[in-house]
Amino acid sequence: MAKRSYDLLFKLLLIGDSGVGKTCILFRFSDDAFNTTFISTIGIDFKIKTIELKGKKIKLQIWDTAGQERFHTITTSYYRGAMGIMLVYDITQPKSFDNIAKWLRNIEEHANEDVEKMLLGNKCDMEDRRAITRERGEDIARQHGIRFLETSAKANINVERAFYELSEAILDKGPNKDKAPEPQSLPKPRQELSKCCS
Amino acid sequence: METAAARSRRDELSAILQQEVVSLDQLRSCCFHGVPDELGLRPLCWKLLLNYLPEKKSKWESALVQQRNLYRVWTEEFIISPGKQDLPEDAVDSSSRHDITCDDHPLNPNPQSTWSTYFKDNEVLVQIDKDARRLYPDMCFFQRSTEFPLRTAGSDDGTKMVAAEYLRRRIDQCVLKSNAIVKNRSGGWNISGGAKRATQYLNLSGTEEAHWEVVERMLFLYAKLNPGQSYVQGMNEIIGPLYFTFSTDKDKTYREHAEADTFFCFTNLMAEIRDRFIKHLDDSSSGIISSMNRLMGMLKEADEVLWKRLMELDVKPQYFSFRWLMVLLSQEFALPEVLHLWDALFSDAHRFDLLLDICVAMLILIRDQLLDGDFAATMKLLQNYPISDVDQILCKAVQLRRRVLDNLEQLPEHPLELTP
Repeated sequence: MAKRSYDLLFKLLLIGDSGVGKTCILFRFSDDAFNTTFISTIGIDFKIKTIELKGKKIKLQIWDTAGQERFHTITTSYYRGAMGIMLVYDITQPKSFDNIAKWLRNIEEHANEDVEKMLLGNKCDMEDRRAITRERGEDIARQHGIRFLETSAKANINVERAFYELSEAILDKGPNKDKAPEPQSLPKPRQELSKCCS
Repeated sequence: METAAARSRRDELSAILQQEVVSLDQLRSCCFHGVPDELGLRPLCWKLLLNYLPEKKSKWESALVQQRNLYRVWTEEFIISPGKQDLPEDAVDSSSRHDITCDDHPLNPNPQSTWSTYFKDNEVLVQIDKDARRLYPDMCFFQRSTEFPLRTAGSDDGTKMVAAEYLRRRIDQCVLKSNAIVKNRSGGWNISGGAKRATQYLNLSGTEEAHWEVVERMLFLYAKLNPGQSYVQGMNEIIGPLYFTFSTDKDKTYREHAEADTFFCFTNLMAEIRDRFIKHLDDSSSGIISSMNRLMGMLKEADEVLWKRLMELDVKPQYFSFRWLMVLLSQEFALPEVLHLWDALFSDAHRFDLLLDICVAMLILIRDQLLDGDFAATMKLLQNYPISDVDQILCKAVQLRRRVLDNLEQLPEHPLELTP
């Protein structure tokens, strides 16, 4: 039976063009491993990871979405419940950078107004094929008032930091009703029991 | 070790295929339980089940020749010399010295222009390239070079080039072009040294093609021929098992034409399932959302407790069954199991009703775990399906189907109301 081994539940969402490395980022964070060969995500994928932040155990429920336009009608329905959104582009693919504005419009349209956003320029280990400078990433993030990091799922750069910073931003906003534990983790007496055992 | 049942199924299948006119009904009921791998008959069975080969054996030869020639023509037209057919005739004829730039040029703002089409196609191609490369990454098959690359008719200098080289160049162009200019730190623009080939081909020479590149070519051609649909992620997962099956045929001639044969079987298969790939048909009766709703309706009918539990947990069908239904379960199992499962799917006389039965069976087979878990555990199970024994799943699916049919017979007065 499920036990409530966490204090807070945060729902995060990964979006961005196809092939920018969303699944790899998530895999690096959840399993601390890198796989160059990931099949394309069809629809939506899901991972859980519990982290500790400021003395609190936070369960992160992370949704990984398919990048292609066809899947938007399916994936935008997850925006609503998300408390944090990571928007990923690929520093070697200018097109994925150009599309940031489009993705931000999507967020504006479908997500909660107070959702925490973060921009990630992924594949920053591939310096020789870089097409988007770090400054351009910083600029666009500043313009839209969102956090920014360059990451590499492959070289394990800033991936953990990205998830922690985004979670911290959500945590700092203080308690609100969305952060209540999952209603499905019942019944209570048993939870306490299993908590003692674990 | 072979069971008596398997042996008799093998003999039965051989007998069916030896008839002058292959009975599709017989073939279906025989293939439903899986085409035995050791006979090497799966490629032939699939070609028949997917209506690529006619039932009359005497017509096979001419049908194959015709389709394979057609494929050749299409690759020439859309991949090797794209755009040619769109230009006025005198523009192609080099002797007339007609300046085509008067009619069309890369900056032509007209969306109908050949150049504009070319650029749009490149976007599709780059997307296909990303997905074809990452097809079945755990297997080395798709990375290996094919014994039968598609050679072009011969270029001016008399050398023969593989057709994949045309798409490689196109992709390189797209990727390099966009890499060529970068803004430097002081805000000026630098041309970056983009001499390096942006795409990696695992040391394949200009005369070799990897299997994934063959897949890429087929998908691009399909997108060109079906512009309304174009390419949607997931089509790679549909064409992959077909191509694998045909290009590992024991018969050399069939193997040699695996590409053309795969293309047409894929086209036939897509004709039956394409609505699930089309966004604006999501809510139509043949769209993916209706299919998911049907699935949940069938689950409710078969196991209301489990259905209720999923509802309580707010585990929506699109969290798992979107993928199941869209790519015919090809991402849930390893390739050998997928092939086995598809034997059954293709043998369904009412394609693809059986797929829904199978999905319901998959849920019911893990009901105890599902009833016991919270949201996260349930999602984890559904997205990493734990059972790999396809026979067990098929058995359950048939059982469920039978139950529904029995119920229908017991209530002859209103049979239609009970159909899911």
